[in-house]
Amino acid sequence: MIQFSQEQLDKVNRIIARYPQGKQKSALLPVLHLAQDVFGWLSTETMDYVATLLNIEPIEVYEVATFYTMYNLKPVGKYVFEVCQTGPCMIQGSDDIIAYIGEKLDIKPGETTADGLFTLKTAECLGACGYAPMMQMGKFYKEHLTKEKVDAIIAECRSQALVNQ
Amino acid sequence: MGIKLLLENAHIEGIRYFDAYRKNGGYRSVEKALKMAPDEVVEEVKKSGLRGRGGAGFPTGMKWSFIAKPEGVPRHLVCNADESEPGTFKDRYLMEFLPHLLIEGLIVSSYALGSNVTYIYIRGEYAWIPDILEQAIEEARANGFLGKNILNTGFDCEIYVQRGAGAYICGEETALIESLEGKRGNPRIKPPFPAVKGAWDRPTVVNNVETLAAVVPIINMGGEEYAKIGVGRSTGTKLISACGNINKPGVYEIDMTISVEEFIYSDEWCGGIKNGKRLKACIPGGSSVPILPANLLLKTAKGEQRIMNYESLSDGGFATGTMMGSGGFIVLDEDQCVVKHTYTLARFYRHESCGQCSPCREGTGWMEKLLLRLDQGQGKMSDIDLLWDIQSKIEGNTICPLGDAAAWPVAAAIRHFRDEFEWHITNAAEAQTRNFGLAHYADPLPVPEPAVV
Ligand SMILES: Cc1cc2nc3c(=O)[nH]c(=O)nc-3n(C[C@H](O)[C@H](O)[C@H](O)COP(=O)(O)O)c2cc1C
Ligand code: SF4
Ligand code: FES
Repeated sequence: MIQFSQEQLDKVNRIIARYPQGKQKSALLPVLHLAQDVFGWLSTETMDYVATLLNIEPIEVYEVATFYTMYNLKPVGKYVFEVCQTGPCMIQGSDDIIAYIGEKLDIKPGETTADGLFTLKTAECLGACGYAPMMQMGKFYKEHLTKEKVDAIIAECRSQALVNQ
Repeated sequence: MGIKLLLENAHIEGIRYFDAYRKNGGYRSVEKALKMAPDEVVEEVKKSGLRGRGGAGFPTGMKWSFIAKPEGVPRHLVCNADESEPGTFKDRYLMEFLPHLLIEGLIVSSYALGSNVTYIYIRGEYAWIPDILEQAIEEARANGFLGKNILNTGFDCEIYVQRGAGAYICGEETALIESLEGKRGNPRIKPPFPAVKGAWDRPTVVNNVETLAAVVPIINMGGEEYAKIGVGRSTGTKLISACGNINKPGVYEIDMTISVEEFIYSDEWCGGIKNGKRLKACIPGGSSVPILPANLLLKTAKGEQRIMNYESLSDGGFATGTMMGSGGFIVLDEDQCVVKHTYTLARFYRHESCGQCSPCREGTGWMEKLLLRLDQGQGKMSDIDLLWDIQSKIEGNTICPLGDAAAWPVAAAIRHFRDEFEWHITNAAEAQTRNFGLAHYADPLPVPEPAVV
């Protein structure tokens, strides 16, 4: 069963209160972010649940969830590497970084490692062009990437995952 | 040192927090503005000559004066923090390091526009910044600058932060409003303009982060004084985010009187081209504005120094000029391939097209495919003309300016770097092993000669 905790439901209500009366649909993007944080990705069941919470049709949720790139409509790895590949990052070697991560994890962009730890994605400009090459990892950015830095990040994720097991 | 109005205090310890910010003169503009009538605040902004820093450069005071004021209908100010134009990362810097400057500007601007509920729409990927902004909002509230009856003037104001979820198009103001309403980011057909019918059909003004931050020095020093900085219709200061093959990428505040050459080569700014290479090309205002070869970038077709301001950058129109845009300054050195760079931009616009208009939806994908083919050495001469034809049919034929923004970079690349495109076809195998290089792109131009289109 997909279900927010009471604390999460309170948060949903605080978000709804930001918008005019009767315009609770406006809370959809933030509530989808919350749902994804809690459940990892947006299944149909999760989206239907969000529709019920906001008192809107499920199709209104699907429409939005499929439009924005940050919503995962499929399960993803525990750590998602989203490497920017747009012009300014490209001229600083983002192609090499993407290839290197792919080689190291033995996956192609769009894929997840067999152990479910890592997903590699390419991304378009993330607003860090001066600190290229870079990637987004969860809530934060990893900038000025080098092969050594990538190695260190992967090693750290692996050891973190071990601790959490 | 140039004049700094926005970033002057950026390096003061603790400036992210209320106490240090206030101690260094923060929130004076709120105290001053709330003693004035809202229309007087609008008047100061008009006098300042401030132009929107989001890309279009529309005069802010004029935009504010268009807001409809029907009786009994709430109005809203929405801060555009969607910042997704390749090359642009200045708003991020402002929000991360000087969140109170934005909040201060938002309070004054909300007062001027009569917005009791103001929203900041921030791109979803800047996921750590809402916490910074929300903390600043809470501090401002705790100190009486937000909430009910601010400074006992009877003015109420709340500011809420909403995250987007990954869509460049949501930076376009009507798409942003749709997204704020919990919908797909499909731009609306204008008119009606947001100033009449915006968020929830209420009169709405959408302004860029930097624009709203600039309201603070304008109120503090007065519109007339602000207008004395800069030159012509480029008043005040502008944030430039510089990236690419330069020694010192970063966010800089300039007053709009320095030359492009100074900006690139001076140690105060970009610090010159990295690794002692030579300058080949530059996109000075974010990916949507025309790319220029080094020779046309540093000097106008008339042979004059090009200056970092609205007028000088656009001198020569699209034939030999470019635009200030959002201030995303992308520098390419002699080792960069313009064909490949243009391909990545075409891919970007295809990825970001919302798909409502066929010229944009189909055209961006087609341009991407052709550019990829050219870059991979499988292009034909006729592809160049085809690209030209496609871009010319997108421009001006779409609901929102994303279509134009996708067309212009391709048009400018072909206009100025046609030799390089042709070389990718005539020397296809060689083009896979080396780049065209600097070629003649930095050669001094004959002056004065009519522009070649
Ligand atoms: C495709 C597209 C993307 C845009 N992205 C942004 C953006 O990220 N930030 C921004 O401030 N303006 C952006 N704009 C411009 C806005 O539509 C609008 O003009 C601007 O927010 C107005 O603010 P200003 O007058 O303060 O510049 C974009 C426009 C288009 C067509
Ligand atoms: S021009 Fe492109 S992005 Fe803009 S409305 Fe049309 S399809 Fe959408
Ligand atoms: S191009 Fe990669 S962050 Fe902007």
